[in-house]
Amino acid sequence: MRDPNAIDFWRGFALITIFINHIPGNTFERYTFSQYGISDAAELFVFLAGWSIGIATRGRDGNPEPPGRSVVRLLARTVEVYRAQLTVMLLALALIAGAALLLDNPLILEWHNAGGFFADPIQSVCGMALLTYQLGYFNILPLYVLLIGIAPVFVLVGRVSLVAALALSVGVYLASLVFGWNLPSWPGEGDWFFDPFCWQLLLVLGFVLQGWNLRTDLLRRWSRRLFPAGVAIVLLGIVLAVAEIRPDPMLVPEPRLLFTFEKTYLTPARLVHFLGVLLAFAPLYAVLAPRIGRVVGYLTQMGRNSLAVFSMGSILSLVGQLVRFQTGGGLLIDMLVAGSGLVGLGFTAWFVEWRSRSRSSRPRT
Amino acid sequence: MAQPQQIVTTAHMRPVQPSACPTRAFLTRLVPALAALAILAGGSAAAEQPANPLAGEAALSLECRVPGAQLYTVAQLGAVKAALAENRPLKILAIGGSAAPGASASYPAKLEAALEHALPKVDVTIDHRGLPGEIASGAAERLRTMVAEAEPDLVVWQVGTHDAIARVDVDAFASALTEAVGWMRSHGIDVVLVDPIYTASMAADVDYNRIVEAVRTVATQQGVPLVRRYEALHYLSSRTDKGEGHMLGRQFRLNDLGLRCMAEHVALTIATSLMRTEAPQEPKAAPAQPPLTEPQRAPG
Repeated sequence: MRDPNAIDFWRGFALITIFINHIPGNTFERYTFSQYGISDAAELFVFLAGWSIGIATRGRDGNPEPPGRSVVRLLARTVEVYRAQLTVMLLALALIAGAALLLDNPLILEWHNAGGFFADPIQSVCGMALLTYQLGYFNILPLYVLLIGIAPVFVLVGRVSLVAALALSVGVYLASLVFGWNLPSWPGEGDWFFDPFCWQLLLVLGFVLQGWNLRTDLLRRWSRRLFPAGVAIVLLGIVLAVAEIRPDPMLVPEPRLLFTFEKTYLTPARLVHFLGVLLAFAPLYAVLAPRIGRVVGYLTQMGRNSLAVFSMGSILSLVGQLVRFQTGGGLLIDMLVAGSGLVGLGFTAWFVEWRSRSRSSRPRT
Repeated sequence: MAQPQQIVTTAHMRPVQPSACPTRAFLTRLVPALAALAILAGGSAAAEQPANPLAGEAALSLECRVPGAQLYTVAQLGAVKAALAENRPLKILAIGGSAAPGASASYPAKLEAALEHALPKVDVTIDHRGLPGEIASGAAERLRTMVAEAEPDLVVWQVGTHDAIARVDVDAFASALTEAVGWMRSHGIDVVLVDPIYTASMAADVDYNRIVEAVRTVATQQGVPLVRRYEALHYLSSRTDKGEGHMLGRQFRLNDLGLRCMAEHVALTIATSLMRTEAPQEPKAAPAQPPLTEPQRAPG
């Protein structure tokens, strides 16, 4: 088990934020940082995943492990995330169907695009296995499967040159923005909510920056120097978000995706804002850690077990939505939903670590 | 249950009453187009009473038949009219509901067929997209990108269900919807709104009814046609249904029926609205012109 560190801390923080934001309409939504900027917790989550790949594919001494081992390691992780996505989807569909039956309310079947599954299970179940059928709010894991699936390419290129890996990634990113590349949804029309061709950039960026951070002091010095710029970007983001100022996609010049704030394509404005958030808040952990030990312990434990916590968070946020729907919401219900969710997520992280501890300490029977 | 109030009260909006005579001339013009609609919509029903002023509803297949007053409110569709005047294909973006095949998804194909029959010689292309998420938080943003990508003449938008389910604040929903509809209209794109479905377990739900009412209010204020799906399904649910049951119960059967009927209801609303739209002065060039709609012009 790793000691508390900034990466796990921020990952835990992102997990909590995603959980709250996935219960739309709840009171606490407006207190998450996603409401006060252009980018949100999804960017943070994917970036940190890339950073973690950098850590995982190196030994304790910081030297890269053999390429073959890295590829197998990423493959194993891909399988793990894929399995989590299938489990979570099945549970989500069962929750929706069960609630519709129990409450005698077919309206619930339309929840988050689930109606397609119940209307056409034959195609949808294939789409589910192919990851092209996604429920609303259950679209991050498919992205994650794909990103970790293609990560070996970038990791191997990165062994030769991190700059080359980044250049390749930026090239794919810009081409997708200009030509509007995305993966299709199926069954049904439309595209993926998170465009993997664009979002891969954040993963590679995390991976490359981790490598540079390890190699030289340059990155740390520059990030300290650019701190004021980060703060300025964050402040600008707050103003734009609160005043609801954003470009009109019908009025911006072609190629439009270079200028809008669209989440699906991780447009440049979102990317710049995220980098600003990174610059402004990265130093915060060192300041906070000694003062809020408990919170740090709670968040880092979640960060260490991000897949389990994320999966449980998806399910709990759906349960939370159902509870809010049936009771009509309100501050008391929201406190109950959010509170039990936070406890549930904390318990999940603790439980996963307890299980792996007890598994490794006991001889197999 | 609080019966949602009727917003549009002008007589000629309701083809139900043949005695409301100023409407007669209009109706006779309406009949041929709607009769065409009827042929594909269900066949035999239309054949029974072809020249009847009731044709508006007769265009609907038997199981979907709802009096016009309970089915739609009409308003001008300038951009669609302009597209027809220019003889170019009519591009429609259908948003909301499940964008997947199956019971609900014959919807885009059905709508396309229904419209092409109602508007002969017009090529209709329909792009159907699901829009998960709440209009009050995020989905409106996604809608703007979708619309910018598709650049349609008309957006048919099933709206409100997600926000109702998420218990979004009604005022926040209404203002976000107003902004989204206003934005589309400011770019010269016509909008037809479709309000949420009726189901017995939600009938007494105050918040749900307020969302349905909010869709109605926004449609009136923005001067866009509205398919009153809630009221239409409520009407259908009150009819004696001898039809086949549903293994999951009556509400689920009604839900299926609602999905089957939606294309017909939307097509009828569009066709009726088009009949009432004056020929465009300059095609698609004056989008900023606020639409003059019946409710604003004549209260009574």
